[in-house]
Amino acid sequence: MKPILKIQDLVVEYRTHEFGQKVKLAVNRLSLEVFPGEIFGFLGPNGAGKTTTMNVLLGFVPASRGAAYIFNVNVREPIARQRIGYLPELTYYYKFLTAEELLRFYARIFRIPAAEADRRIDEVLKLVELDAVRKRPIKTYSKGMQQRVGLAQALINNPDLLILDEPTSGLDPIGRMKVRQIIQRLKSQGKTVFFSSHELGEVETVCDRVAILHQGELRAMGRVSDLEEKYKCNLEQAFLKVVGYEPGL
Amino acid sequence: MPAPSLLFGLLCSVCFTLATWLQPWHQSWAGSRAQSGSLLNVVMGDSRQLLANHFLVKADVYFHSGYYPSIFDQVTRGAPHMATAKDDHDGKEDHDHEANEESGFLQPPRDWIDRFSRHFYPSRHTHLEKPGEAREILPWLRIAADLDPHNVGTYSVAAYWLRQHLNKVDEAEQFLREGWRANPDSYEILFELGRVFDENRNDPERARNVWELGLRKWHEQSARHARQDNFVLEQTLTQLARLEEREGNLPKAVSYLEELKTVSPLPDTIQLQINELKQKAAPPSAVKGPKSP
Amino acid sequence: MNNALAIASVVVKELYRRKDFYVLFVLTALITLLMGSLNFFNDDKIVRYLKEICLLLIWISALTIAVGTTARQIPAERENRTIFPLLAKPISRGQLVAGKFLGCWLACGLVLIVFYLFFGVISASREHQWAAASYFQALWLHWWMLAVVVAMALLGSVVFAAPSSNATICLVVILGILLMGRHLNQVALQLAEPMNTVVYAIYFALPHLELFDVRDLVVHNWDPINWLVCGGATLYAAAYAVFFLFATWLVFRRQPLA
Ligand SMILES: Nc1ncnc2c1ncn2[C@@H]1O[C@H](COP(=O)(O)OP(=O)(O)O)[C@@H](O)[C@H]1O
Ligand SMILES: [Mg+2]
Repeated sequence: MKPILKIQDLVVEYRTHEFGQKVKLAVNRLSLEVFPGEIFGFLGPNGAGKTTTMNVLLGFVPASRGAAYIFNVNVREPIARQRIGYLPELTYYYKFLTAEELLRFYARIFRIPAAEADRRIDEVLKLVELDAVRKRPIKTYSKGMQQRVGLAQALINNPDLLILDEPTSGLDPIGRMKVRQIIQRLKSQGKTVFFSSHELGEVETVCDRVAILHQGELRAMGRVSDLEEKYKCNLEQAFLKVVGYEPGL
Repeated sequence: MPAPSLLFGLLCSVCFTLATWLQPWHQSWAGSRAQSGSLLNVVMGDSRQLLANHFLVKADVYFHSGYYPSIFDQVTRGAPHMATAKDDHDGKEDHDHEANEESGFLQPPRDWIDRFSRHFYPSRHTHLEKPGEAREILPWLRIAADLDPHNVGTYSVAAYWLRQHLNKVDEAEQFLREGWRANPDSYEILFELGRVFDENRNDPERARNVWELGLRKWHEQSARHARQDNFVLEQTLTQLARLEEREGNLPKAVSYLEELKTVSPLPDTIQLQINELKQKAAPPSAVKGPKSP
Repeated sequence: MNNALAIASVVVKELYRRKDFYVLFVLTALITLLMGSLNFFNDDKIVRYLKEICLLLIWISALTIAVGTTARQIPAERENRTIFPLLAKPISRGQLVAGKFLGCWLACGLVLIVFYLFFGVISASREHQWAAASYFQALWLHWWMLAVVVAMALLGSVVFAAPSSNATICLVVILGILLMGRHLNQVALQLAEPMNTVVYAIYFALPHLELFDVRDLVVHNWDPINWLVCGGATLYAAAYAVFFLFATWLVFRRQPLA
């Protein structure tokens, strides 16, 4: 099967301006592939380089070396983003727009015809349960509602690949469960989901495969059950071992 | 909140205002340096006066429908060449430097941008000549007088336009009285006021009173200061002489002319007028005639 | 173009949902009406001072809105991180720049139409004539000048980090050009050789925004400008706007967003 998302030998360096030309290596020679229909968990402690990798996938940050492809198109081309949905971590949306206007704006960029856009907007707003407040400006929304707006906009174009950066961070338990349900529903529709997280519990329940990143380097990758078998413990302990944290020490 | 944009707005207006002040500042600086010799005095001195001066210049700009040299043009030409409104209070038409003006402050365009830009601002010399158009300069004179009530030139100029071109004698008289209240010793204002009474009100009695008062003020002040503005004295004496001649007080008229002769740059012409008057006066007083020389 | 227009429509929506414009318009209208209510020697036909004040306020307000709105666009997108979901859509950075420019410029156009209608009503109420051609030219030239201003502020917003410093720098440069631009060649003449050439080069290189300031012609009822000349000025402004937009795109194209 052909991978839907392919990262090859990716290196990302940030120039930190404090000390002249000093560079910070955020991602180091990362290679991975995600196949259609998979739910792929991208794990790592804070600062591991998860967001940086996603930034490359979406063209926000140039790769220092290596390359990334989505649907076999280099991520530098805007057209690579036609069939993906992206939920950034910690985002705000145009506060002066209503949820409906925001979604219509994004639908227009995807060139979704008006009638279909209306249908999609109804659909995703129902899915994220914002139907009742769709005509209120986003600035009046709570944090959880804003996160759900983010999910709605990621789904507006009915994407085949979803890239979600810590979709459950900052949500209460009910909110997390709902996000998990949405992810599972997407899987049942045959979508591919690539999402980052450091919440291992949720990863275990929804992911087909995971990759564990630490300090920019890939430390482990495979099916959750394979990893548990390999390290002879549950995913959480395996994770801690992989990132070099010994509970006894 | 619109606070930042309000701030920008404020900044903008400050800049604009500063810029528009540049011009009068330059002029009043050049002007009063001659008088006071102290730059500090001017910079720290009465800003109201600077503003007032700015609005006087504005009135002159309006009189020329916006055709006016900027400070840059003035620098290239060496000095401001156009009279400000207060200088030509006897009618704008007889500028001293009319010839200079007609050639314009604008030199031939230096480059294509210069040539092109002349389509976008007034680049032809004109005056407000259509009937009633002169009213447009009045607001600036009014504001200038409010800011600096001691500049008597403002009142004279405004009164001239109100009286001669706008048929607003009442307003002219009221404005002059206002100026008189602020400057009780001003013979200039008394002179203008006299003209209102004489030429527009047909009231020689009151005209004579204010002119005579003006004369007294002039003499008082010339006794105090060494140098005085002879121009208004000449004008007042001329007007008084004419008035007395019309009223039939020929000896009085002659005596004013005699005084005028001492200050006039053209004493011979005045002497001719005196002789004429004396001849008119001759028949009734033929006995005295031969004795007088 | 579709993408640029979509972004532009959001910018315009933002403008009319924020209060800045209304505040400036009400201020302008209030000051103008206040000045119009003054009585100068019982003459109610005096109008030019009022036109001048009204136009000055319009220029200040329009510049403030243009620079303020534009300078904040891209930095606000980055600060609020709205640029991430936006650029995750099939949209290029060039389209984003074009959209922001179009949005700010169209918004300025709407603002100008409102302001100039007010100006027209004020002057017609006194003069009993409606110099439509002159007013239209003033509006048109003003709008094209703002195209250059908006493009300049957009360039500033991807070059300078803070929107406030960008806005300040832009305003200072623009006011400098408006006040000095026409006279730089005269200034150059006064200078000794190395500076002479430098100032002359600046004189030829900078966008002569003051060309588009035809307030004196409007205030003093001069005849409308030759339409060909007007068209020339339009092309002149368009050339500079395109230049600044191109520069913005060059800078922004490869700028890392994170
Ligand atoms: N804009 C930036 N400039 C410099 N360093 C950065 C920048 N963004 C992230 N980093 C660094 O890169 C590393 C990876 O960060 P990130 O990808 O955000 O981690 P996470 O896995 O938590 O999402 C961190 O050490 C972070 O400090
Ligand atoms: Mg992260």
